[in-house]
Amino acid sequence: MASLEIKSGALVSLQDLRPSSPFFKQGASLRITGKLHEYSIETGLATIIDGDDILKVSTKHLRDLTFQVGSVYQFIGELLIQPDNEGVLQARVGRNVDGIDLNLYHQSLLLLRQFQTNHLNNPATM
Amino acid sequence: MQKATNTNTNAVALHNTHVKLLAFDLLSLTQSPFPSSDATTSFFRRGIPISRVETVGTITLRDLKHDRFLRFAVDDGTACVPCVLWLNDANSPSVARRRRHELAARFAALVKLGAVARVRGRLSRFRGTLQVTVSDVAIERDPNAEIFHRLDCILLARNCYNILPPPSSYTPPQPPLPLPPPK
Repeated sequence: MASLEIKSGALVSLQDLRPSSPFFKQGASLRITGKLHEYSIETGLATIIDGDDILKVSTKHLRDLTFQVGSVYQFIGELLIQPDNEGVLQARVGRNVDGIDLNLYHQSLLLLRQFQTNHLNNPATM
Repeated sequence: MQKATNTNTNAVALHNTHVKLLAFDLLSLTQSPFPSSDATTSFFRRGIPISRVETVGTITLRDLKHDRFLRFAVDDGTACVPCVLWLNDANSPSVARRRRHELAARFAALVKLGAVARVRGRLSRFRGTLQVTVSDVAIERDPNAEIFHRLDCILLARNCYNILPPPSSYTPPQPPLPLPPPK
């Protein structure tokens, strides 16, 4: 099935996308969530923030999504690392997630990673 | 010993339940090397038979094939689950099948790129790849739905699926030993 050609967007927080992070790789498929800080209709570039962390998202492939500064969005796409080492997420899917519990979201990511690590280390207990 | 019987019954009962699983866990299910007359018993998680699953995630691929079936992928952040929704009963002489087709067509209309869907269905295999033959699709509008599903899956795996003994491990209680003859 063609879905095998589409990679799953790994759940990451913006904090995980610093250049030293294992997720900060050219072409990595990621899913990110954050508040819209800035949006340019001309370039289709959105700036997403989460705490002190920031990421640019290219939205040119998205349809039927309206952007409102201050709203929370979630994007799935591929990370393109520019020559200046700045990452831009090339989004293929996006949605408004106003009302999301970001604290619970981050907690669920930690629990998920523990669970997946446990699965890799001890598949028999899965 | 009664407790062992109950947990064993639960392991078998899981077989007829839509089991909530994260995609990476779902795709790692094993298939019995022995073909069964009942095809629904061929997938296992730690020896426990599973035939139906429930997944929640973002639809990242949609491919309608000749109006006969819809293939789509559900991404929950751990992996992509391949799904197939059959749409080939439109002209069936059976009223029940035509009704089923109407329902499937309604589900197909809900499957849109970027939507978050709760998908239920039966496990199957196509060209060596595990997939879900869809029986039900619901669109989730709560922005926390995926988080709750993720937490449900982790808790159910830890507190339920992982501690159930596989049906084969159950040994019936032995009859009590005869009392020694009175002296």
